[in-house]
Amino acid sequence: MRILTRLSIRLATTVLVLFGVSVLIFLIARIIPGDPARIALGPRASEAQVEQMRRTLHLDEPLFAQYAHFVGDLFRGDLGISLYTNRPVTTDIAQFLPATLELVILAGIMMIAIGLPLGAISARYRGRWADHVIRVLTLMTVSAPSFVWAVVLVLLFSYYTPLFPIAGRIAETITIPPVTGFMLIDTLIAGRWDGFLSALHHVFLPAFALSLSGIGQAARLTRANMIGTYEQPYIEMAQAYGFSERRIAARYAFKPSLIPSLTIIGLDFAALLGNAFLVETIFAWPGLSRYGVGVILQKDLNAIVGTVMIISATFLIANLIVDLLVSVINPRIRYAERSE
Amino acid sequence: MTRSVLLTSAAILALGLAAPPALAERILRLDEAPIGEMDPAKGTDYADTVLAINLYDTLVYPRQGGSGVQPHLATDWTIEGPVYTFSLRDDVTFNSGNPLTAEDVVFSFERMMALGQGNSGLFEGRVQGAEAVDAHTVRFTLTEPFAPFLATLVRLPVVDKATVMANIGAGDFGEFGDYASEWMSQNSAGSGPYVAESHDPQTETVLVYEPDYFLDPAENHPERVRYRYGLDASTVRALMARGEHDISSQWLPPEVFAALADEGAAHLVTEAGLTGEYFKLNTRRPPLDDVHCRRALAYAFDYDTLLQLVRINDDTTQGRPMSSALPAGLIGFDPDLPAFAQDMARAQEELAQCAHAPGDHPLEIAWIAETPARERGALMMQALYSQMGFDVSITRTPWALITEQVTDPDTAPHVIEIAVSALSPDTDSLLFNMYHSSMPPTWMSASYFVNEEFDALLEEGRTETDPDRRQDLYAEANAILKEEVPAIYGYELLGAFAVRDGVSFHNLEDPARTYPVSGFNLRFADISVPE
Repeated sequence: MRILTRLSIRLATTVLVLFGVSVLIFLIARIIPGDPARIALGPRASEAQVEQMRRTLHLDEPLFAQYAHFVGDLFRGDLGISLYTNRPVTTDIAQFLPATLELVILAGIMMIAIGLPLGAISARYRGRWADHVIRVLTLMTVSAPSFVWAVVLVLLFSYYTPLFPIAGRIAETITIPPVTGFMLIDTLIAGRWDGFLSALHHVFLPAFALSLSGIGQAARLTRANMIGTYEQPYIEMAQAYGFSERRIAARYAFKPSLIPSLTIIGLDFAALLGNAFLVETIFAWPGLSRYGVGVILQKDLNAIVGTVMIISATFLIANLIVDLLVSVINPRIRYAERSE
Repeated sequence: MTRSVLLTSAAILALGLAAPPALAERILRLDEAPIGEMDPAKGTDYADTVLAINLYDTLVYPRQGGSGVQPHLATDWTIEGPVYTFSLRDDVTFNSGNPLTAEDVVFSFERMMALGQGNSGLFEGRVQGAEAVDAHTVRFTLTEPFAPFLATLVRLPVVDKATVMANIGAGDFGEFGDYASEWMSQNSAGSGPYVAESHDPQTETVLVYEPDYFLDPAENHPERVRYRYGLDASTVRALMARGEHDISSQWLPPEVFAALADEGAAHLVTEAGLTGEYFKLNTRRPPLDDVHCRRALAYAFDYDTLLQLVRINDDTTQGRPMSSALPAGLIGFDPDLPAFAQDMARAQEELAQCAHAPGDHPLEIAWIAETPARERGALMMQALYSQMGFDVSITRTPWALITEQVTDPDTAPHVIEIAVSALSPDTDSLLFNMYHSSMPPTWMSASYFVNEEFDALLEEGRTETDPDRRQDLYAEANAILKEEVPAIYGYELLGAFAVRDGVSFHNLEDPARTYPVSGFNLRFADISVPE
């Protein structure tokens, strides 16, 4: 089967999954206790005002009719008004999603750039002090959730040693007009190197806190896979040919070990969207994860559905990309696709 | 060559000297837990109030250093039965440059009522109409005499009609479109001392001082204000320690306040904003449908320990004792009453008279999950009431679930700890919503109190205009609440703020300058900040 056909099928499946998610979250959002109209208007609003708000939100109609309104509006690109921010949900998502993606992408890059080499070094020097140090450190990082690391890093590098900023995306003195919403890119578009460096300075610590658990997981997985690979006969043969240890490690042991690691990293990467909530809270990072929890607590129906749909779509797209990458890296999958 | 170099150098030096020096800006950075709503017709919360009083003006304002209201946009007024006529200042302009007129006041009122959100419920059914008599005279005609009306006007910010109409979008209000509903949540159109520069619901609202404001600001008032939202307590603590934050919100845990004060990074001030910390008792569910059981719980309550729990350090506390259902400063408050105190003997006496034996019905105590500090109060009650023989369970309940549970007295918990503030300097704004039997079941009215005599007193308090008579009416109502115990009156909540050293929060540091209503003291122009 050609890769394009496979991609088409995966895309169709993705759309189906999104439809299922939309139905599910639409129903769950309405089961969460609390009257959204009353919560939005407050206890001093009269019953007449609350009733009017319910009518405006279509809450006085049957669930099926409410869902039909939602789907109809969705196709017009309208996710409704958020009762939490009093703005269109699409405006909120357009503003907050890039902030979270910037954080998550940078965390993902750190997971790969730090986790994989650490695992490779650990496997290459198995049983020696470097291996022991890396194993202890990675065990520590996977043992504690991201928000614990966020607090520890803030204490160490912002509070006691003020090396990094505590909150925000860029220095207060720098104003960058939003274009993409990604501060690192917008500062470059604006030609503000000082802004770029400031944005990088601000994003580094939260991204690192978010990535630590993934770094540990990637390193440990890569180490285990590489050790398994080192026991393969072709490695013994490479050694017999007199290839250098570095060449064997990088070319013959590391690459095959990458495939399972990449799959896990892909899943981890998508899970970072959920883990980002507490990190965003601690670093006052104005992202979608923090927004998502806020709207759930306020029972902001439109915003809940919109946020979950976007996070689900991001999750599915990340999985799709990982699948494609794995099939590109793993020749067995590639050849199997061709032979089909 | 040398000469030209010298000339060039001199020119550069001259230009450098002639250029104005870079001016430092006075910035105030403070935070609030939930996001602020900028549209004054939609806001109800603390942050909304703070934004409203800095971006907009009202006809009257809570009286500084006292009770009641004082002139603000209105210089004076006359009351003839249900007709209130206000004379407006003629020197007030909106931030847009448009003069503020009676037409703007009428428009602001009609806009708030048409949108039907925010504090519109305070005026609903009360006002027959508003009209501009002339450019600087506005008249409100009420449907019937309503004594709290004047005080309620502190919740009617005046918007610039011309600016609003220039920014309307498509909507359901005919020629008014959407009443600029979407635009007003992102921009300001007021006459206040500040104008909104930017508003990001998850990060901050930035406000810039308006030099043409009609009242004098404090010396070294902030020229720019960053009102930040949703900062974690640990973040606030670290920011303040680094000198990057000036005033905390009042929602920090007591231990964080204490740490900030101990570290010498900040000093603490408190705001008594007519707020009671009430333990609402569900008067519809047994055993609390019997007044003797309610009194037994109230007498057994350990007020002193509760006050210890909210004490920050030797100098500052987040609560002061209550002696009745009313916080100090409201009409009907009696300063001579003794504070509530635990009395186990009387508790046992009342329990003996209760129709229900303690073990007959389990007692459910809920505490709001979003306010962890309240768990301590719930645990204290569990320990106390268990000793009296009650089968007590405590439940950590998310706020959204509480708002759902309280809509039905049969599912509402027996006891919930909730802070309730008066919205205006009038007692009616606190008592009516909590205890009048006509109120819908909400978290404010979660006692489900029904008492005809009490209802009649509140209704008379609304129509009676004689201040002395109103004092008597509310004192009588207050006495009924003390006798009938629809709630345990835990303590009067004092909102604590950590203020960075060097910043002067004059309104809360000098009682003569304090405004009595919660949130109204955060007038940024009254705060002094270093450059």
